[in-house]
Amino acid sequence: MNAKNRRRPVIAGVATSDYPYLPELSEHGVHGQVADRALADAGLGLAEVDGFATAGFFPMYAVGVAEYLGLRPTYLDETNTGGSSFEVLVEHAAYAVEAGAAEVVLVTYGSTQLSQMGRRLGTGGGGRGAGMPGPAVHDALWGNTLVGNYAMAARRHMFEFGTTPEQLAAVAVTMRDHAVHNPQAQYRDPITVEDVVGSRLVADPLHKLDCCVISDGGAACVVTTAERAADLPKEPVHILGGAHASTHHLNLSAMGELTTTAAALSGPAAFARAGITPADVDVAQLYDSFTITVVLTVEDLGFCAKGEGGAFVEDGGLGLGGRLPTNTDGGGLSSCHPGMRGMFLIVEAVRQLRGECGPTQVPGARVAVAHGTGGVLSTGATLVLGKEAP
Amino acid sequence: MTVRWFPDEMPLPAASAETLGWWEAAADHRLVVQRCTDCGRTRHPPGPVCPGCRSAAAELAQLPGTGTVYTFTVVHQAFIPALADRVPYVVAAVDLDGAGGARLVTDVVDVAPEDVTIGMRVAVAWEDMGPELALPRFRPIEEGGA
Repeated sequence: MNAKNRRRPVIAGVATSDYPYLPELSEHGVHGQVADRALADAGLGLAEVDGFATAGFFPMYAVGVAEYLGLRPTYLDETNTGGSSFEVLVEHAAYAVEAGAAEVVLVTYGSTQLSQMGRRLGTGGGGRGAGMPGPAVHDALWGNTLVGNYAMAARRHMFEFGTTPEQLAAVAVTMRDHAVHNPQAQYRDPITVEDVVGSRLVADPLHKLDCCVISDGGAACVVTTAERAADLPKEPVHILGGAHASTHHLNLSAMGELTTTAAALSGPAAFARAGITPADVDVAQLYDSFTITVVLTVEDLGFCAKGEGGAFVEDGGLGLGGRLPTNTDGGGLSSCHPGMRGMFLIVEAVRQLRGECGPTQVPGARVAVAHGTGGVLSTGATLVLGKEAP
Repeated sequence: MTVRWFPDEMPLPAASAETLGWWEAAADHRLVVQRCTDCGRTRHPPGPVCPGCRSAAAELAQLPGTGTVYTFTVVHQAFIPALADRVPYVVAAVDLDGAGGARLVTDVVDVAPEDVTIGMRVAVAWEDMGPELALPRFRPIEEGGA
C-alpha cells in the first residue's frame, strides 16, 4: 500500500443489539452492548479506541456515553441531523481516520424509545409536538403531527405524479417480505397491499402500516484505516464516499416543494465522491420512517426519474431480485426503528457486502448505499460502501 | 368565528424576538408575512436575516388573507393529547396570496375533511385563543369567475 491507501477509511466491525424490546436495559446499556459486540466483531479492544461518535437529544450526549463506556477519546463527534445522523457521523469518522486525526473510531447508537413510552405513562406529558423547540411550534400549533408532515408530502406526490396508496403500500409489503427472514424483526407475518390500505389511517393518506414501528435497540460500527484493518479478522468494507445536506428544520412550511428532498443534494455528491453512478449500486438500505420516505428517496438518489418512484416500488423494485434490493433486514417498517435508525442501515449494508445475510443475501453484492433521512424530510445523508477498495 | 375550537390545553407559541410581531399582528386579526425591505424576498416563519441577501432589514407586510391549499392531511391520530377527541381534522399547507411564495401550515375548517382538495381556494378565519393570541385558520371560499 502506498501512503494514501494505508489511511483509506474502512469499516472493520459492526453490531446490532438485541431488539426490538429491551425493558431491562437503559439507553446507555444499549450503547454498552453494541460497543462490546462491534469491537469483538472487529477484533479490537476498548483500549484501542481513540475516537468516539454518537448522537442523542441532549447536549454533550457523546461525552456522557463516552464516560459510561470508559473512553477518553481524543476525537469526538455528536452531530445530530435526526434520522440521518449516523450516516453523517460515519462520513466524518472516515475523514478523521483519513486525515490522521484518529486511528479507531467507535460509532454507537442506543435507544429505549419503546420501553420509555411505558415508563412515561401517567406523567401528563404534552405529547409530540408540544415540546417542539423554537419555530417548530409554528406548524404544531394547529395539531400537525410528525406523521402529518410526511402525509402532506405523500398527498402532494400523489397530486403531481398520480402515485397511489397501493404503490406506497408496496413498500411496506416488500419490507415485511424481508422481515420474514429476520428472527429479530418486530413484525414477521407476511402482509398484502390490501392489509396496508385497509389498516387504520393515522394521517391520510398514510395508514398505520405505512408508518415505521417503534422499538428499542441499537447498532454500532468501528471505523479505521485499511492498514489497521489488514490485521483484523473480518473482511474490511470500504467507505467509498459520503455526503449530506439539509433543506429546513422542523417546519414543513420552510421546505419549499415537498416532492424533492435533501437526498437530491446528498446523493449525487456522495456518488461523485465514490466514483459511482446509481447503476453501480447492488443493494440499498434506505431510511423508511414512512413508505413515502422510500419513494422520495429512490427518486432523489437517481434510481428512477422524479415521479416514477410509485411505479418503481410497485413493480417489485425494492425486493430481492428487484432492480434495487432494499432494507434486507425488514427496515424500520417491520424490523426495528428506535428513533434514529441510520446505524442499522450501515450495519446491514456492511453485512451484505461481507455476504453474511443468509436468505436475504444479494448475490455478489459489491456496492451498497445507506441513506438516512432526518427531521420532517429535513436532512439527507448518503454513504457509499464497497467490497473492494476504490 | 366566535366558538373556540382549540381546547385550553393546547401548547402555546413561545414568541421570539423575530416572531413576536407576527403573533401581535395575528392577535389583531391581521395576516402578515415578513418581507426583506432590501431585496423583497419573503420568509415564514419570521427569522432574523433574509435567506437571500442576508439583510436584517424587514417589514411585516399585510396580506389579503386568501390562499390556495398546496397540500393537506387528515389527521386521524393526534399527538397532542388535548386534540385526541377532535379527530379527524385537516392540517394543510396553504400558499398565501401576495406572500411571494411563503407558505403557512395551518388547518382548514368549515368543510368536511373528504371535501378538501389540493388547489382549493381558502380565506383566513381567526380563532381567538385569548386577549393576546389568535390563530389563523382557513375556510373554503367561492370566487366569482374572472
